[in-house]
Amino acid sequence: MKILIIEDEIQLAQSMSEYLQAENYICEHALTYRQAMHKVLKHNYDCILLDLMLPGGDGMQILEEMKRLKKMDGVIIISARGAFEDKITGLQLGADDYLSKPFHLPELAARIYSVIRRRNFGNNNIIDENELQINLLAKTATINNIELSLTKKEFDLLLYFVSNRNCVISKNALAEHLSGDIAGMLDSYNYIYAHIKNLKKKLNDAGCRNYLKTIYGSGYKWEI
Amino acid sequence: MGNMNKLLDLTLRKFIRYAALVLLCSIPAYYLLVDLIWKHELKEHNRIVGETVKQNLQKLALSDQALQEKISLWNQLRPETKIAAADQYHPDSTYNIYRRNKYIPAKGLDRFQVLVTYFAVNGKYYSITVENNIEESYETVLGIAVVTFLFFFIMLGGFILINRRISSRLWQPFYNSLEKIRTFDLQQQQPVFFEPTGIAEFHTLNNNLEKLIAANIATYQQQKEFTENASHELQTPLAIAKSKLDMLLQSHPLTAEQSKIIDDTHHSLSKVTLINKNLLLLAKLDNRQFSNNVSVNLSALLQDQILLFRELAADKHFRIKQKIAPEVLIAGNTTLVEIMATNLLMNVIKHSKNGATVYIELSHHHLQIINSGTSRLRENGLFKRFGAASVNVPGTGLGLAIIQKISDQSGWTVTYKFENNSHSFCIDFNRPALENS
Repeated sequence: MKILIIEDEIQLAQSMSEYLQAENYICEHALTYRQAMHKVLKHNYDCILLDLMLPGGDGMQILEEMKRLKKMDGVIIISARGAFEDKITGLQLGADDYLSKPFHLPELAARIYSVIRRRNFGNNNIIDENELQINLLAKTATINNIELSLTKKEFDLLLYFVSNRNCVISKNALAEHLSGDIAGMLDSYNYIYAHIKNLKKKLNDAGCRNYLKTIYGSGYKWEI
Repeated sequence: MGNMNKLLDLTLRKFIRYAALVLLCSIPAYYLLVDLIWKHELKEHNRIVGETVKQNLQKLALSDQALQEKISLWNQLRPETKIAAADQYHPDSTYNIYRRNKYIPAKGLDRFQVLVTYFAVNGKYYSITVENNIEESYETVLGIAVVTFLFFFIMLGGFILINRRISSRLWQPFYNSLEKIRTFDLQQQQPVFFEPTGIAEFHTLNNNLEKLIAANIATYQQQKEFTENASHELQTPLAIAKSKLDMLLQSHPLTAEQSKIIDDTHHSLSKVTLINKNLLLLAKLDNRQFSNNVSVNLSALLQDQILLFRELAADKHFRIKQKIAPEVLIAGNTTLVEIMATNLLMNVIKHSKNGATVYIELSHHHLQIINSGTSRLRENGLFKRFGAASVNVPGTGLGLAIIQKISDQSGWTVTYKFENNSHSFCIDFNRPALENS
């Protein structure tokens, strides 16, 4: 899977590509508007991460140009502006998702995963992990063909772990994934433990191997 | 306005006081003048009468006896003059006496100006007393006082009348300017233009006010832009810090202590991110970048929020009671109403001890959230940005400011009360919520 990171801040671009490479993506990056336009028009990517504020131009114009040329790459807008209007305009111009800075790398990986799955697998969007199968369209999970009864949050978490295979996810990243800004308002992450405990129990009870590891002190990891 | 005086009333009062003082002083002055003229004129008159009588008698060249008869007759007929024998020649004397009126006693005391002069006929000395009724002092004083007071009241009426005219004409531009400043709202960002006036002082005043207001608007604008830009500029470095920590977490081996440090740092970053977002939100609210005209189903929204609240507060074992009226529709902005409800509920989680009682009530008129607590919050500056209501629990310091700002813009009022060992925050929708039709 090929990903283009359009981001003028080299430090951020580096972290993003390192993390995504660990998830087996092939990353390229463009630091300016011209570089980005050049790459977008010349190559095809599975997913383009697009920063709107670029030296030399507005990221939105790249999106417009892609729309004009009917280029079908998946696009996730990454913006520091966080304005609601940007989000609407971006999605109208054909972007698949919108992520405001700052974000957790696992969150980014989860968004990319879901964009690529949606685009490439269409109606047969099923993730196969040995005995575990996740149907992204029906939002169900089965183990050895037996359906798990997961709550919406548990299913969400499961998908989040799977899309960050073999990477450590911090409690903070999970908290922000589950409750957004509220994570910054609270002093403890106690509420995420309950969800994870339940998910783990349901997976184990159904005979799933222990893929979801607790890394003491750091967070969690889906190891496969 | 309490004890405040209007500018013109104040000058009027001073003018009236001064006029009263002057007029009061004028009463004795007028009296003395009138009395002096009286006395002087009557003295003159008495001297003429006395001198004429004197010379006429001397001219007649009567015998002593005939003279006596004439004098006796004179004295009987002319009571205001009296001729009498004198032992020797004296210099003239004048004086002023009060005496009861012999003929009309009811008139009471009369005042007389008297001249006694001496003359000699046939070698004998005589005195002649000429007296003349003069206006009594108290009557003069009374008369002058009456006239003075009359003029004073005429003046008073005139002052008030003129004052009103000045107020309505001369000072009108000033009052116009005052009204314009009173209705000026910095947040509206509307510059104020004053009507041209022909008076130099007002012209200067208005010019300077315009300058001052323009400068204020510019400063306010700059400050808002600064907040927005600063917030935006912070997002990217925050993103870098966050992503670096995420990468650090992937390194092997990582001790539990190192993980803990990463975790704590993450938490602080979340807080900074939230403060930053909240500042941006406040800047946008100040900019009025949210429309307020959607009908929001507060009942449904609140139920969702309470579900989340119960989940997030599960480990705090709150006793939660709720009384939510169904289908409460209010005019507002969905995003803002949601932010407000979240902030109110998160406040409760942050500031309540384990096992606290929480009561949430929604009616068509208000939303009230009550939670048990131990001491009253410092109300001064409670709703200010970074007003830090309680030092025990760190928050972003912006939650309540946001709640108030959203309330203000939606036309609601938010109040805090501490009663029966409970904190109560109430959002009053003022106008009844839209009825479900």
